[in-house]
Amino acid sequence: MLELRRVSKVFAGIPAVDDVSFSAQPGEVTGYLGPNGSGKSTTMKMITGLLELTAGQILFDGQPIQEDLIAYKRRMGYVPEEPYLYNHLSGVEYLIMVAQLRGLPARQSTERIEGLLHLLSLHGDRHASISGYSKGMRQKILIAAALLHDPDMVLLDEPFSGLNVGSALVLRQLIKELAARGKVVLFSSHELDTVERVSSRVVILHKGKIVADDSIERLRSLMDLPSLEAIFSQLAVEQDPLSTARQIADLIHA
Amino acid sequence: MQVIDLESLSIEADIPRFLGQFAGVLILIGGFQALGFLIQSGRPHLTRDGLLTMAMQSEQSFLGSTMLIAGLAAVATWDNIFPDRRDVMLLGALPIRPRTILAAKLASAGSLLGIGVLALNFEMGAVLPLVTGGIRHLLLVFVAYWFTAAAASVFIYGAVLTIQGVTAALLPRRWFLRLSAMLQLAAFALFLSAWALQPSFDTMEELAKAQRLGILARWPTFWFFGLFSETSDIFPIASGALARLACLALAAVVAGAGLSLLLCYVRTMKKTVEQPDLEPTRGRQRWLLPLGDPLQTAIVRFSMRSLARSRQHRVVYAFFLAIAFAIAVSTLTRVATSHHTEPVTSAFLMGTLMMMCLAVAGLRSIFSLPVSLKANWVLQVTQLSAPEHYIAATRRAMLVLATIPVWLTAAGLALCYRPWNQTLEHLLILALAGSIMTDAALFGVSKIPFACSYLPGKSNVQYIFWAFAAGFTPLAMSFSRYEQRVLDDPLSYVALVAILVAAAAELWFFNRRRAKSAVLYYEEVDPEAITTLGIGAWHPTSREASIDAR
Repeated sequence: MLELRRVSKVFAGIPAVDDVSFSAQPGEVTGYLGPNGSGKSTTMKMITGLLELTAGQILFDGQPIQEDLIAYKRRMGYVPEEPYLYNHLSGVEYLIMVAQLRGLPARQSTERIEGLLHLLSLHGDRHASISGYSKGMRQKILIAAALLHDPDMVLLDEPFSGLNVGSALVLRQLIKELAARGKVVLFSSHELDTVERVSSRVVILHKGKIVADDSIERLRSLMDLPSLEAIFSQLAVEQDPLSTARQIADLIHA
Repeated sequence: MQVIDLESLSIEADIPRFLGQFAGVLILIGGFQALGFLIQSGRPHLTRDGLLTMAMQSEQSFLGSTMLIAGLAAVATWDNIFPDRRDVMLLGALPIRPRTILAAKLASAGSLLGIGVLALNFEMGAVLPLVTGGIRHLLLVFVAYWFTAAAASVFIYGAVLTIQGVTAALLPRRWFLRLSAMLQLAAFALFLSAWALQPSFDTMEELAKAQRLGILARWPTFWFFGLFSETSDIFPIASGALARLACLALAAVVAGAGLSLLLCYVRTMKKTVEQPDLEPTRGRQRWLLPLGDPLQTAIVRFSMRSLARSRQHRVVYAFFLAIAFAIAVSTLTRVATSHHTEPVTSAFLMGTLMMMCLAVAGLRSIFSLPVSLKANWVLQVTQLSAPEHYIAATRRAMLVLATIPVWLTAAGLALCYRPWNQTLEHLLILALAGSIMTDAALFGVSKIPFACSYLPGKSNVQYIFWAFAAGFTPLAMSFSRYEQRVLDDPLSYVALVAILVAAAAELWFFNRRRAKSAVLYYEEVDPEAITTLGIGAWHPTSREASIDAR
């Protein structure tokens, strides 16, 4: 189980994440939602150990992750929000490098890399330089790299970004399958429809603070709203979308 | 409009500042030389022949340097005269004619070239005509000087354009891009080596003799020297043939460059758009030699690929390697002209030591230049071993990419030298020296190659180079003389080897001990200019706050 206890992160006096506490259970898909700038990616980076916490604690299976960061990283797979990769490497070179850095046996990593490249429709372009990859292809490389070592916990930050419809459908099912096999799955996304279909629970973040943390059915019933989109709009959206759209159209027409 | 090859510069390249610094350095170099010439020319008993000899030496030097500057400008603007995919996709959709893009790029490239040539020759271009031409022929010599400087720089730049353009027109774009990267490096090495190796002549007699032997006709610098001599009419040498060579060469490259640009803007722009983003690749999974445990193999291969595929890193490393290459070529040239094996000399010993130092120092400086900072997250997330293992992998990368290749090159060169026992003895000393240099270069390093941010100027490429030139060169000279004596004395040789083994082992153990408590870092920390104690931080009292509010 992943647990965050009163986690905060402050940048130059400004709290990006403010006293956030929630947990993600194995066998469950936990959706982590929030508008742009709400602190989702910052939270994800703290969970991966890339950013230090200003306050609070992050525990995995009851142990603070800082006590043995190496052992924790062995069990964690991470797909970042932006697909930053080493552009001068090819897809297969990148995956082999990740497998070697994780100390995977050569034969096992070769089989998994070949299989993942086939299943993610990247096999034909595996020797091409990543600099020529589309955004969706880079995202698939990131997903493959995150799953190579069969992690116990998978953190996905905007994993559907850039994926075509077919690949998005595959990823949606994959997320469910990973959870069904007892892994902890925490993913953030702006695609509320997908989150609603895939997640067991959602945590909604607004301006660095948690404004909702429950199952989608309970939230619907508590707030008497029909969909996650309506719930999200009520809790985390400040602009009136219709009014804003009209103003933009009026401005460019003027 | 992008003209400078930004990939060759730092990732935070500030073009105006770079140009300013570049011009400033050239003005300084040119100024010192011109001042020296002016002072020397004012000596009371200097004859006309003496003055012309000085002018000849200065003209040779400045022409060589001008052509080097033009070559470096061509390397810095590599591929950027021709529109790349971004130019075509962005500008192609706008109502801009291709010839407008071409004119803009040529104007920008011409400015860069012009700034370099002008900055270097600014002072000498005024002093030399004044001193040698006198009032009567001042204008003639002045025009001849600047015409020759311009012609020489256009020749070099045009030659590079011609080669690029012809290659771009003939080859599929993917092959051209691969070949282009290698050509850029080769050009860089060629310009630096030619500048370092070209002959210079101290007297008119030597120059005339070299011309009779056909030596001058082999060097483009002397074609344009001949052009200056013919147009200024100040040197008493027959330089018509050389001047004709210069004119023919210039005409050829101008025509070639013009044709290349025409072909490019007519044909290659279309090819650029039509080329797919990703071409289907055939399976080319090669069996690669393991380079240690999986972590070491990953780091070394990452370093190899980063060095091979990053233009910025290649160009900086090529600067160091070009000088090492020049040393190797001069060694081979000496052996080739003598047609028999050479005895082991201190020049050979020193040359190989300098090659080793250049390669190690150059690689160490570029290890500090990151290849992609934003992608480093994967190294942090997969950091599953203690930092000492990563530091050991960095050392292995240095050995594989610098120390061992240079040692192998030296071993190849050593085939031309006798007796065998001395060459083998030297190779052992070189191996130990390589190990010492490697560990010294990595002293205190706690990072993965190409994976750490750097503070502007902190990689200190230029300082490393000048420290090498000023510090290591005399040291290598002394050591090689001592080594040459020692090679004839077995006891002294054994003592020297024992000292080197002890030094190599001690450095290695010291670095290993240090690595055990090291922390791997990915961000350079700004050194604190001022240390603060943090006491007496002011917080307004409620009274002060209410006064402020009013």
